[in-house]
Formats: sequence, C-alpha cells, structure tokens
Amino acid sequence: MIKATNLSVRLSGTQVLHGVSIEAAAGQLTAIVGPNGSGKTTSLKAIAGELPYDGTVSINGHNIATLKPWELALKRAVLPQSTVISFPFTVREIVRMGLSVGAKADAADTDRIARDALEAVDLSGFAGRFYQELSGGEQQRVQLARALCQIWEPVQHGESAFLLLDEPVSSLDIRHQLTIMRLAKNFCERGGGVIAIMHDLNLTAMFADRMIMMKAGRVHATGHPNEVMTNAVMEAVFGCAMRVNATPAGNVPFVLPHTAA
Amino acid sequence: MPRSEMVAGDGRSQSFAARLKSDWHMGDRSRLAQLLILVLIVVAAAMFSTSIMTGAADASLGNVLRWLIGMEGAGQALSVRDRIIILDIRLPRAVLGLMVGASLAVSGAVMQGLFRNPLADPGLVGVSSGASLGAVLLIVLGSSFFGPLFTIFGFYALPIAAFIGGLITTLLLYKIATRSGQTSVATMLLAGIALGALAGAVTGVLIFMADDKQLRDLTFWGLGSLAGANWMKILSAGPIILVSLAVVPFLARGLNALTLGEAAAFHMGIPVQRLKNIAIVSVAASTGASVAVSGGIGFVGIVVPHVLRMLIGPDHRYLLPASALLGGTLLIFADMIARTIVPPAELPIGIITAFAGAPFFLWILLRGRSHMGL
Repeated sequence: MIKATNLSVRLSGTQVLHGVSIEAAAGQLTAIVGPNGSGKTTSLKAIAGELPYDGTVSINGHNIATLKPWELALKRAVLPQSTVISFPFTVREIVRMGLSVGAKADAADTDRIARDALEAVDLSGFAGRFYQELSGGEQQRVQLARALCQIWEPVQHGESAFLLLDEPVSSLDIRHQLTIMRLAKNFCERGGGVIAIMHDLNLTAMFADRMIMMKAGRVHATGHPNEVMTNAVMEAVFGCAMRVNATPAGNVPFVLPHTAA
Repeated sequence: MPRSEMVAGDGRSQSFAARLKSDWHMGDRSRLAQLLILVLIVVAAAMFSTSIMTGAADASLGNVLRWLIGMEGAGQALSVRDRIIILDIRLPRAVLGLMVGASLAVSGAVMQGLFRNPLADPGLVGVSSGASLGAVLLIVLGSSFFGPLFTIFGFYALPIAAFIGGLITTLLLYKIATRSGQTSVATMLLAGIALGALAGAVTGVLIFMADDKQLRDLTFWGLGSLAGANWMKILSAGPIILVSLAVVPFLARGLNALTLGEAAAFHMGIPVQRLKNIAIVSVAASTGASVAVSGGIGFVGIVVPHVLRMLIGPDHRYLLPASALLGGTLLIFADMIARTIVPPAELPIGIITAFAGAPFFLWILLRGRSHMGL
C-alpha cells in the first residue's frame, strides 16, 4: 500500500499541491484524473520521491524519506511522460537498464525477463532498433518495458511492488492503449499495485478500481469510477457540463464529448 | 490470468518465435565491445613498443628486451647512451602519453555522460583552461602566496593546483548549465566559452606579471606536449590519473541510467547526487593532472568516445575502458608524429591532435545535429 498524507509542494515559489492525501492499495489500479495543471504529475513525482515535499509518503509502511535509492527502486518503478536521450542506445540496452537494479538472478534469467517485458508491451522484434529512431508511442512502450523489468515480480519477499505511470497511454494507438491497460491490470491481479495518471475518462472507467479526481492542487473526489464519474463532478472539475452514461452490460460509466454543453 | 495471456498475439507460430529470439540478440553489442577491448589492448601494446623503438637512436625491441632480462648476446649489447635514451627519455614519454591519452579520453566520456551530451569535453567547455589557470597561478604567485603548498605537497603541488582550477570550473559550469535536472546544451557550450575566456584572461594577467624565471617555467610547462616527459612528472601526475581511472568504472551503470535523465536514474535506484559529485571530481582530477604535465591537448576527449560509440554503442561499462585504451594509443601515435615529422625539431602534440580532431568534430556536428539537441 502506498500512502501519501497531506502532501504540499511548492515549485519555484508557487504552491501547486495543497495537502493532498492519496492511498493506493496493492491489487488495485488507482487512477489519478483531473484537468491540466491540477497537480497530478507533481503528486506522482512526490510519491516517487524525486522532488521535495511537506507531508509523508510511505510504501508498505516504510517512510520513503528513510529509504535509499536502490531500496526504493525495488519497491516501485516509474514511467515518466516522455524520455529523450542523446546517446544511440538500442531498445535492448534500454530495457536491460531496468534490470541492473535488482539484478540477482543469473544472466540467462535476466535476459529472459527483459525479452518477456519487451514482448509484454508488444515490441518483440524491436530489440535491435535504435531508441532515438522510434515513434513517440514506441518509445513510451520501451520505457514501460524498462520499468517492468525493475519490478518484474509484483510481489517480492511478501511485499507488493508498485508501478507509477504518468500518462502511460497518452501517445498510443487504441489497440496499444488496451494492451497497456490490460498489462497494468494484470500486474495488479498478480499482487502488485498501480498508480496511473490518466486523461482518457472512458479507459479509466473501464480499468480503474479507484479513481482520484484532482482539481487545483487538491483532491476533489475519491472512490470507484461509478461513484466519481457523475455529471456533477464532471462539471465541477472540468468546467463543462457533460452527461455521464453507463454501458448496459457491465454498468461501466462513460462520457461522450458530444454531450458537452 | 496466466502470463501468456497478457502478451499480445500469443497464437504465433514457432518459427516466428524463433525469429523473435534472434531479433532480441540483434540489439546486443556487448560481445562486440568485449572483442574490441581485446583488440585495443593488443594495439595499445604494439603502439607502446613501437614508440619506444622509434627515434634517432637505433634500439630494436629485441635488443631492449634481451637487455631487460639480462640475456644480451655478443654484438647486441646496448650502449650506455641507448640505455639512457630508452629508459629516461622514450619510456617515460610513452608511459606519460598512455596515461594522459587515457585520462583525456575517459574524462571526455565521463563528462559527456554527466552532461548527457556527446559534445561535452573538458577542453571544449573551459575545464582545461581553468586547470591551466590553477597551474599558472601556482607558478607565478607560488613562492609568495603558496609557499606552504610547495612544502606540503612537493612535486604534487602543480597537479593539485590544476585539479583545483579544473574542479572550480566544472562545478561552476554544472551549476550554470543544469536547472532542475535538465542540462541545456547551448548554455553549457556558451558558458564553457565564457569560463574558458575568463580563465584565459586571468592567465594572461598572470603571465604579464611574471618575472623572467617564471616566464621560462611557464613556457616550458605550456608547450602542450609530451616533450618534457620524465619519471618525475609521471610520479607527480600518475597517482591522480590512475586513481581517477580506477574510480570511473564504478560510475558506468549510473552514467548509463543518467542517459534517461536524472529523475529516471533516481527511479532506477542510482544515488544521483553522489554519482554527479564523484564524476565531477574525477573529471577535474584527471584533466588537472593531464594539464599539469602536458599542457592543453585538445579533441582527444571528444573524438575518441564518439568513434567508440559508433562502433560499440554508448554503454559506459565498455565505453570507458575502450576510451582509455584508444585514447592512450592515439596520443602515443600523435606524439610519434610530433617528434618525427620535422626532425630534428618537434611539433607540439596539441597541433597534431587539433589538425586531426577539429575537422572530425565539425563532421560530428554536421552529421548528428538532430540527435544532439542543437
């Protein structure tokens, strides 16, 4: 379980988070949703431990401020929004970088993990390609494979590991959006936890177990997508009146931009 | 859900799976890199021996070896003059060339990894100028201001002064060019030019102030060549260079991760701040030591890592040792050209490396503009 309590963050003099509290349980896909500039990425960065914050963040009961970088790396992996590199690494070399942290198994085993991770993001056959020559969506999937390698076993020594994903499907085509969301869901089903920043409300409704709706640096609403995705919340958070509907079979909420007033 | 289900398209045929396996190995350049390192070791040894045998006095490798193991046959004995030439002139010169070349190439590679950019080079961004300033400060103001330094550090004083000059420049450059984990290439190069010019100006003032004896010392020191190589210089700079060279392999994995950005490297478990501190100190130390014993020798630090990245890729675990070997080999080679091209005079080696390196650098710029964020 990841527990962030009362997070406040100032970035170059401006307060961007005002006492945000976020919980993400193992076995669940927790989606953070909200308008641009509402503090989603800042929250995720604070939880990842990469920027200074007031408040506390703990993973499985360990305060992350007391953990060394390599200890943190075994408990959580992070997918940033986009990664630009200036050296000609191949896809294989990038994916294997994720391995070097928890490297414990023998060489053949780590090699298999890296290959399986690449296959899981549907990039088999891309190992020899240069990262810099891939499309944005392909690069994003390479980075996800790299992050997956880092915590390949969702449960290690009885502790759940967490994937922190910043807009994991933002530059993907619809088929790969589904591939990646299923992959994240699968990671939760095998005992891990996922926190994902999402923009696509309908994918969020389909896959999220819990939804955290942010607005202006605060948490506006929390709960199951069925509870959070309501006409009132949509209008209050995004400032446009839209009708939320539900699919007949699974009662999954969806919202069409066509309905915006 | 079993793992096979999370993989897209699991109904593929066996032959396709076999092809995937081979594709996977296409991205693997580690075997190639290991092979290249072996080749470079052989080439470096060959270049080293050739350099010892090359010169006006005739001393063949066979004779030298026989003399070294004490098995000289009749008529093969080395004259005293030849022994002195080999032991006190050519051997220290080759050793110094190997060390300085390795140090220049490795500090280039580490600095490029630190700044996440293939254009960063201690010579290019003012670190060498800062190191020179440190050395000149010591020579000119030495007796009056830094007397105690000489008594404490003896002949290590010059490399240490150059190291401090280089360290201050590198720290300033990093502070100026890097904001919240992002390094601006344009800022880095321009700030490097400014810092280099500033250091050069102060150096100019000091030379202006220098008396005749100091001027002679400065001229000797600033020739930018291996001509003054002797065992004393090797003893003074060698330990610093060797320690830096011994430390950097431990930075390799961290520098690889740093390619993806400081945040990503931290996510992967790298203690980023410590990595940067060690990298900055080791670059400044090896640049300072090199500058102290051989003056400014340009372009080795940028050309060598670049050529190697094209051959074996940017993985620092292989790039760093290969850079050391190729840098040492090339500098010994350049030095052989420098001392044989206009006999009996010698060209400063910096001229040779600039003639070869500057056009190459322009070619890198033209070829790789899109990849370097320019």
